[in-house]
Amino acid sequence: MSQSNKNWTLFIVIVLITIFCLLVDIPRVPSWVPFSRWFTKQKIHLGLDLQGGTQLIYQTDTSNIPDDQRSAAVEGARDVIERRVNFFGVSEPLIHTAKAANEWKIVVELPGIKNVKDAIKMIGETPILEFREQGAPKQLTSQEKKDRENYNKKAEQRANDILKKALRPDADFAALAKQYSEDDGSKAQGGDLGWFGKDAMIQEFEKAAFALKKGETSKQLVETSFGYHIIKKIDERKTVDGKEEIMASHILIKTQSLEIDLSDPQSQWQYTGLTGKQLKSAQMTFGGDTNEPEVSLEFNEEGTRLFSEITQRNVGKPVAIFLDGVPISVPTVRETITGGKAVISGDFNIKEAKELSQRLSAGALPVAIQLVSQQNIGPSLGRLSVNKSFVAGVIGLLVVMIFMIVFYGFYGVIASIALLIYALINMAIYKLLPVTLTLSAIAGFIISLGMAVDANVLIFERIKDEKRAGKFGETVINDGFRHAWTAIRDSNATTLITCAILYYFGSGLVRGFGLTLGLGVLTSLFTAITVSRNLLKLFNK
Amino acid sequence: MFYKIIQKRKIFLTISGVIILISLVAWIIWGLKLGIDFTGGTIMEIRYPSVKIDNNQLIIDQLNDLKLENLTVQLAGYDGAIMRFKDINEETHQKILTALNKIGAVEEISFQSMGPMIGRELTNKARWSVILATLCILFYVAWSFRKLSKVIKQGESWRYGFGAILALAHDIIVMIGFYALMGHFRHVEFNSLAITAILTVLGYSVNDTIVIYDRIRENILTRGGRNLEEVINLSINETITRSFGTTPITIFAILAVALFGGASTRDFAFAMAIGVTTGAWSSVSIAASFLLFNRKGLK
Repeated sequence: MSQSNKNWTLFIVIVLITIFCLLVDIPRVPSWVPFSRWFTKQKIHLGLDLQGGTQLIYQTDTSNIPDDQRSAAVEGARDVIERRVNFFGVSEPLIHTAKAANEWKIVVELPGIKNVKDAIKMIGETPILEFREQGAPKQLTSQEKKDRENYNKKAEQRANDILKKALRPDADFAALAKQYSEDDGSKAQGGDLGWFGKDAMIQEFEKAAFALKKGETSKQLVETSFGYHIIKKIDERKTVDGKEEIMASHILIKTQSLEIDLSDPQSQWQYTGLTGKQLKSAQMTFGGDTNEPEVSLEFNEEGTRLFSEITQRNVGKPVAIFLDGVPISVPTVRETITGGKAVISGDFNIKEAKELSQRLSAGALPVAIQLVSQQNIGPSLGRLSVNKSFVAGVIGLLVVMIFMIVFYGFYGVIASIALLIYALINMAIYKLLPVTLTLSAIAGFIISLGMAVDANVLIFERIKDEKRAGKFGETVINDGFRHAWTAIRDSNATTLITCAILYYFGSGLVRGFGLTLGLGVLTSLFTAITVSRNLLKLFNK
Repeated sequence: MFYKIIQKRKIFLTISGVIILISLVAWIIWGLKLGIDFTGGTIMEIRYPSVKIDNNQLIIDQLNDLKLENLTVQLAGYDGAIMRFKDINEETHQKILTALNKIGAVEEISFQSMGPMIGRELTNKARWSVILATLCILFYVAWSFRKLSKVIKQGESWRYGFGAILALAHDIIVMIGFYALMGHFRHVEFNSLAITAILTVLGYSVNDTIVIYDRIRENILTRGGRNLEEVINLSINETITRSFGTTPITIFAILAVALFGGASTRDFAFAMAIGVTTGAWSSVSIAASFLLFNRKGLK
């Protein structure tokens, strides 16, 4: 094939790509076009900020679940929430999990929903069901230990700062206690603990408090298992039977224990992997000797297998059923249960048993969740933003094209055509991938326009140089591109690196921006190198 | 015709120094006005289609009973208001709406409430992405300019990597200074959009630096680096028309966003325009000058 033929073949390919993208882009494709249905079906995916809706972010508590099973548990929670939301009838809910450091979040996006209150309530009411077995008490991981030590160090600092304030001659101890104390029992009364005698308080505290003079504040922090105390003795007296009693106030800054709290039921019971995730159905039944109301559970296949394994290794031992973090029933296993059915028999009345079975039937979570962020965008704001962003995009493109033509004449026209194709390709990618368009994603697109222009400008400047050097014909264009290439490569590579980092580390908004900017840079490489060059070769005289 | 540009680098460095100083002082004195995506909290925007709101006390009075911590109410137009306060739960949110409905039928335009946890995460992420992006750029530039290490002397390409990073640090400090100034005088918040702006400028600044460096690389490889100052000046002159072409075009595209976007997008676009300008400036004043730092020419 001759060089000219090659150029024309490439030109036809470019035209075909452009037509394809154009068909994807326009909202309604006339029916005489082949595959018009498929083209019309491609929709732009608008983010919540553009179409209105609600975003809820839930923090999950995976502290009781072994590391390697956390991901599965959170995915399970995601599925349960999705089932619930679908049940609620929201169109196209988007629910995904996000991991940051060692914490998992579940992001629930509900487009166009009006009754957010009900949605939150419904998700919040989802019960958390877990089956646990006995095991060695859990130990703190070294990371957890380090975190707690750090926390305690900071607590000590804080306590020392407060102590300094409390020791000033004009200090108002009660006001300080009201402001800083972490003892919820005495905080509101300005730290006042009332009258107490010996043996009423923890030993370290008692020793320090009784050693004080009336009206005196402890010079140093008093450390107990609760944390750091600053103590002020208010008054002292002797009771009728001659025992010493004092009245004291304190400011408490809590510390965290470096040991596992054994009184916490969570710590004695081990995660088994059998949770609400594997629950198939639940219903109220009557059972036992006295025909008490109970809740019968039926597991799915995975749950049936897990349950039989758990009962097999725990024959003669108790297994705990945790509901919302509390053990509601701790039956002792008599034999291996292979039928995939279990019964919760608590002290239920009929109403409670019925309610619980209904709640469980609608889906039970494998992990505890907590709403940490909520965002509602009214639909009117969304519409306004769509129109504005669209106008901004078009104007941005036009401004760039006019500039290019004014600055570079014929080359500017070529660049403008390349830019138009660039915009069409990007739009098509957004629809096909799909990319969820948010305000920041559109901003990313517009910035990438700048980069696309830059590639063209670099090339044209180089072509001018080559012409000045006395070259002509296709050599000018080829050499111009070759010389511009290293700059284009390096500058786009660094931008792509930044985009990759934004996409990987960013959340939501930042991520969308990185994605459209990165896609824009890649497309601009294609349009600047391939499209512009091809057009120049074919039409440059 | 060649302009003597790099020869005047002392003037450029002084100007950059003054701008950096102003930015740092603004940052230290006023700090950044952190948005709720960093600190946690609530932003609620409302509108009264049928009532004229000309005094924010009207709204504050209604919300008094709810004891919202750090409540501020800012009027927006004649019929709307933006309220900020501590992060709340859904129950309180509903109570607020009920209270606001006593003034007249209220329309909630947007509501955003997040706990401080999310903010900590964002701060961490932002910090790491800036550090990581900077390191990646340093290594990429050093790798991409490795030929210079062979031709000139061992480790030469690292000078280019660090030059690009210094220009970048310059631009980031200017951006932060800009947000500190805008935060103080115009109540512009430093939020995740601001982080996005800074990260983009980070990419753009390197873009600009690399175009000049690329020319310098080419000219050193073809002409040798005996008189480095002259080679650098030649390279800046050769790329200057491109800079004068691209930078204004990009800024115009960004200003189009500014003119047609909403208030938050406008601040974002304005910051980007500043960033793109300082990015182009620092490529010459910092990045190119740094190549001559502590030496006159190469043997």
